[in-house]
Amino acid sequence: VYVVARGRDLVRQHGGTFAEERTTILVIDDSTTFREKLREALEQTGYTAIVAPDGEEGLRLAATRRPNGIIVDCVMPGIDGSTVIRRIRLDAALRRIPCLLLTGSDDLGAEVRALDSGADGFVRKEADMQVILARLAAALRSAPTQRDETAGIAGPTRVLAVDDSVTYLNEIANVLREDGYDVVLSCSGEEAIEMLAAQAIDCILLDLLMPGLGGKETCRRIKALHTTRDIPLIMLTALEDQAAMIEGLGTGADDYISKSSEFDVLRARVRAQIRRKHFEDENRRIREQLLRRELEAAEARAARELAETRAALVEELESKNRELEAFSYSVSHDLRAPLRSIDGFSQALLEDYTERLDAKGQNYLRRVVAAAQKMGELIDDLLQLSRAGRAELRRERVDVSAIALAIATDLRSSAPTRVATFEIAERLYADADPRLLRIVLENLFGNAWKFASTTAKAVIEFGATHVDGTPAYFVRDNGVGFSMAYAAKLFTPFQRLHSEAEFPGTGIGLATVRRIVERHGGRTWAESCVGEGATFFWTLPTSKPGSRP
Amino acid sequence: MTRKNPIILLVEDNEDDVELTRRAFEKANLLNELVVARNGQEALDYLFASGARAGRDPDDLPHLVLLDLKLPLVDGLEVLRRIRADDRTKRLPVVILTSSREDKDILSSYDLGANSYLRKPVDFAQFTDAARQLGLYWLVLNEPAPRLGGSSRD
Repeated sequence: VYVVARGRDLVRQHGGTFAEERTTILVIDDSTTFREKLREALEQTGYTAIVAPDGEEGLRLAATRRPNGIIVDCVMPGIDGSTVIRRIRLDAALRRIPCLLLTGSDDLGAEVRALDSGADGFVRKEADMQVILARLAAALRSAPTQRDETAGIAGPTRVLAVDDSVTYLNEIANVLREDGYDVVLSCSGEEAIEMLAAQAIDCILLDLLMPGLGGKETCRRIKALHTTRDIPLIMLTALEDQAAMIEGLGTGADDYISKSSEFDVLRARVRAQIRRKHFEDENRRIREQLLRRELEAAEARAARELAETRAALVEELESKNRELEAFSYSVSHDLRAPLRSIDGFSQALLEDYTERLDAKGQNYLRRVVAAAQKMGELIDDLLQLSRAGRAELRRERVDVSAIALAIATDLRSSAPTRVATFEIAERLYADADPRLLRIVLENLFGNAWKFASTTAKAVIEFGATHVDGTPAYFVRDNGVGFSMAYAAKLFTPFQRLHSEAEFPGTGIGLATVRRIVERHGGRTWAESCVGEGATFFWTLPTSKPGSRP
Repeated sequence: MTRKNPIILLVEDNEDDVELTRRAFEKANLLNELVVARNGQEALDYLFASGARAGRDPDDLPHLVLLDLKLPLVDGLEVLRRIRADDRTKRLPVVILTSSREDKDILSSYDLGANSYLRKPVDFAQFTDAARQLGLYWLVLNEPAPRLGGSSRD
């Protein structure tokens, strides 16, 4: 009767949050006899028992029925008990189910293996059914909580004794202090609850009959608080009858002692309860460690998956980018062919049929030729922009000054009569793709040359400076400049700040410059004032690998 | 010594480009006979006196091949490969004349033994200039490989 009452009591404690639902226990054992014996005992105790003859069926039932606890035999054909528990622990939905491993006799390694597999406890198969039930109850009790380490782990074991009789309290205190416990005393239930809130306690001895808040109510409140409900509580009473005992356990107490018993009995019970608590704490710690390890593994897995997904997305994006670039490239190519016809045959008309066209007609044809050639330039610039994004980046040490000098020479020879000064800083080097860097310089020098064409004494400067601790190159001119209000638009394709009549251009050059610099991991910006020239800056970080914009 | 009106083989599928090329050569005073092949297969047939050109004298080779890359049936690179693979034609001057400026096209052409690579400009005036220089160089200045065992040595 006692065991049954204890069982019911523990079941109630555990099932408290599940309203009236009965606690379901899954038994996995290949021995029919033992399985049925255990089922019977469980059902008598008030559990709902479900049984499985092997690990596979057990795992299936665990997944479908979600039992509150599992008792599994260690040695079974097929999947053995440790493996069953390991699988349960790997399933996010099931991992919190308390598991007891039934071990064979004389198996000294069983305990270690049981804990290794993540079992909450182990019990010898030939142990008394009561022991199995008690172990199950202990596992169930500690299962839903995830409390921090308790006082028992650190510092001396502290017992709280609550009784309205100071004499009795002192007697208990003396006995327990002899056993090495740290004893805290309280004269009332109210005071005890306050003390519990203030300090860590490992075991409570609670008088059943007290004035004010009685033992039963105090017990109820302690067991209702999640910070205190796991502290073993032993009810003390002067009454000897079983009804009182069962009633005491019914309020949530873990054990029951008659005050008239020998103090040795009290000491033994206290010791047992504390040992049980330590065992549970130990179990919990192991389980938490296991869980933490699993969580860490899961996190690592998630991180890996995330990285893989990300890599796949980047790869897809790059592939789409390449596709798009290839598309724009071939379109640009195919657009050139009809342009050649438009230009070529218009010129043929102008040359061979001049006398049959009046001035107006000739003017129209010239416009056709000019438009075709303009479109040709546009396409060429688009092709260059496309190439700037697609071309493989081959970094090497580049003599930037030498490239700048060569470009300046070309520009000068394109208009030998023009008065312009180039000031090119010597011995400037960069870690960059020489072909792409040349395109950058060609565009920037070309712009400077163009926008300084109306300046009487044009000066075009190339040099390097430091901006925010980073070396930055620049091309500066004393041309017409631009309003900084439009600076943000400059590097966008087809954005032009001047009319075609003033300064012809396609509006793609600076977009190409930016794309190339970004592929080198650098950045571009410009400074200017209307009428005071413009300076274009760019950086080329050495170590950073270039990435696609 | 230069030959009289040496033959130019133009391999080009775009009729407009054929016409414009013809005009550019005329304007540059290069009055050589221009044989046109509309695709790679026609070019190969002409060069190797096969297929539709089976009756031709296989030793009567053009003095310059102007070869487009994007061609129907057999593409320009394949034509070039076949020209270089045959003992009779392997020394023929072949100039690639195309609208592509793709690195891989340029590299493949040179790898297969193209003598020169020209990109067709949009501006016809530039094209005329290019045609003039090209004709002057390959048909007048350049000394072609002697034809071994041939009877046409002047």
